[in-house]
Amino acid sequence: MTRYAMVIDTRRCIGCHSCTVACKIHNELPAEMVYNPVTTVGPVGKFPNLSLSFLPLLCMHCDNPPCVDACPSTASQQREDGVVFVEDSKCVGCLSCIMACPYGARHHNHESGTVAKCDFCKHRFEIGKQPHCVATCHQKARIFGDLDNPDSDVSKLVKGNRTVKLLSELDTRPSVFYIY
Amino acid sequence: MSNKHQTWGWMLAVDFFFAGAGGGMLVTAALVELLGGGIRMSMAGNLLGPAFMCIGCGFLILELGKPFRVWRVFMNPKAILSVGAWTMSVAVCSAFLYGAMALPFPQIFWRDWAGIGKILAVVNLITGLVVATYPGVLLGRQKGRPFWVGPGIMALFMLSSLVTGIAAHYLCGLVTPAPAAAVWKALPGVIALLLGFQLVLWIGYIWIKQSGTTEAESLAAKRWTSGEMSFAFKAGFLSLGTLAPLVLALFPNPAAQAAAAALVLLGGIIMRLLVIRSGDDRTFLPGEKRYNLRLPTGSETFLHKNWH
Repeated sequence: MTRYAMVIDTRRCIGCHSCTVACKIHNELPAEMVYNPVTTVGPVGKFPNLSLSFLPLLCMHCDNPPCVDACPSTASQQREDGVVFVEDSKCVGCLSCIMACPYGARHHNHESGTVAKCDFCKHRFEIGKQPHCVATCHQKARIFGDLDNPDSDVSKLVKGNRTVKLLSELDTRPSVFYIY
Repeated sequence: MSNKHQTWGWMLAVDFFFAGAGGGMLVTAALVELLGGGIRMSMAGNLLGPAFMCIGCGFLILELGKPFRVWRVFMNPKAILSVGAWTMSVAVCSAFLYGAMALPFPQIFWRDWAGIGKILAVVNLITGLVVATYPGVLLGRQKGRPFWVGPGIMALFMLSSLVTGIAAHYLCGLVTPAPAAAVWKALPGVIALLLGFQLVLWIGYIWIKQSGTTEAESLAAKRWTSGEMSFAFKAGFLSLGTLAPLVLALFPNPAAQAAAAALVLLGGIIMRLLVIRSGDDRTFLPGEKRYNLRLPTGSETFLHKNWH
């Protein structure tokens, strides 16, 4: 069974925000909407042992997504391959999914009145291409693929490295893994 | 460019108030009907309950990004909003049928059906309780909202809905006298009792959030005790909306008791506005708050020069 996931190697991320820009341009997002922020964590520590890291954030495409059950109109859906997306024609703009998402990954589009979010560029990976943020990253800090395929890069990275999932205590079971 | 919120706004708080008060009114009237041997609360009260729910629905529809698609909110049986929408629809119909039985029109043909009052009262009791409680369930399930998460908020909403419903019934009884006169006269005492419970529950809820849970919940609770919401909470809700009416309701004076009921309603709406406002707090991810501060708000000069 296919299950799409993303691995983000924070050791490689240099905080250039190219992924943010690529996503924004290709999805034609309004100025105040950012699907793919890259936050700065730090600097932490005491001089001279200081460290700074960057944390790319996006929709976690959770295995147990609270946003799907929160949606009264069934606009918020989860595919069998794990991708969570919003069917715009069904969205009533009640913002229940925004309130339900603990990752702040959903956004109210004031122009259309509906909610929008990252969908792993499903229109691209369905034709064998990578999501825009993955294709743009020159540091190869983002890796995307089928977690259930043992030969895929994501599968090997998750098995071979120490990874964390954000807010795992909330039992959302995100499909985005962070290597630190 | 719009600066509209990315969280729920005041219209949802007003919806919760009217729906909750309406639910409380239905429960009150139903209990009096079922336990009082067929006596009823005032006609105005019995009709205002479902009317309140309709007003609440109106605000909910106005809050939607796509109001003309409102029929879609009935679609997902797993969503609390859908359950609330369906329950409220049944409640409004049942409550209007019940309230209309007091109207002196021959078209109210169901008035003479045997047992119809009790049947509608049972439906009103169940649906009214659900409508009074479901906003609290909705909020309590939001894992990422530290002030809301957990079962406590459900109790706070249920209690507030009951006390505001009873207060509204008391005020309605001043307009159209209730056939259940003895019950109506006892309402201020019940209001005082429930306000006492409300005071204890809220103090306990804030204390537990602030001291006994996660850091995010503690920070969220501190906004209520010493942050930007503390004045509205302490002066508006606790003092004006709970303590003052509690004291006034105990005076054997109709004017004082009416003032108490009005203050209870005010307290109910202040409470819901504050609770919805506290939904701005989320368990933020590392670096997220700092990142969000850098995002455009929509009023920047460069945006107006280049985009418009």
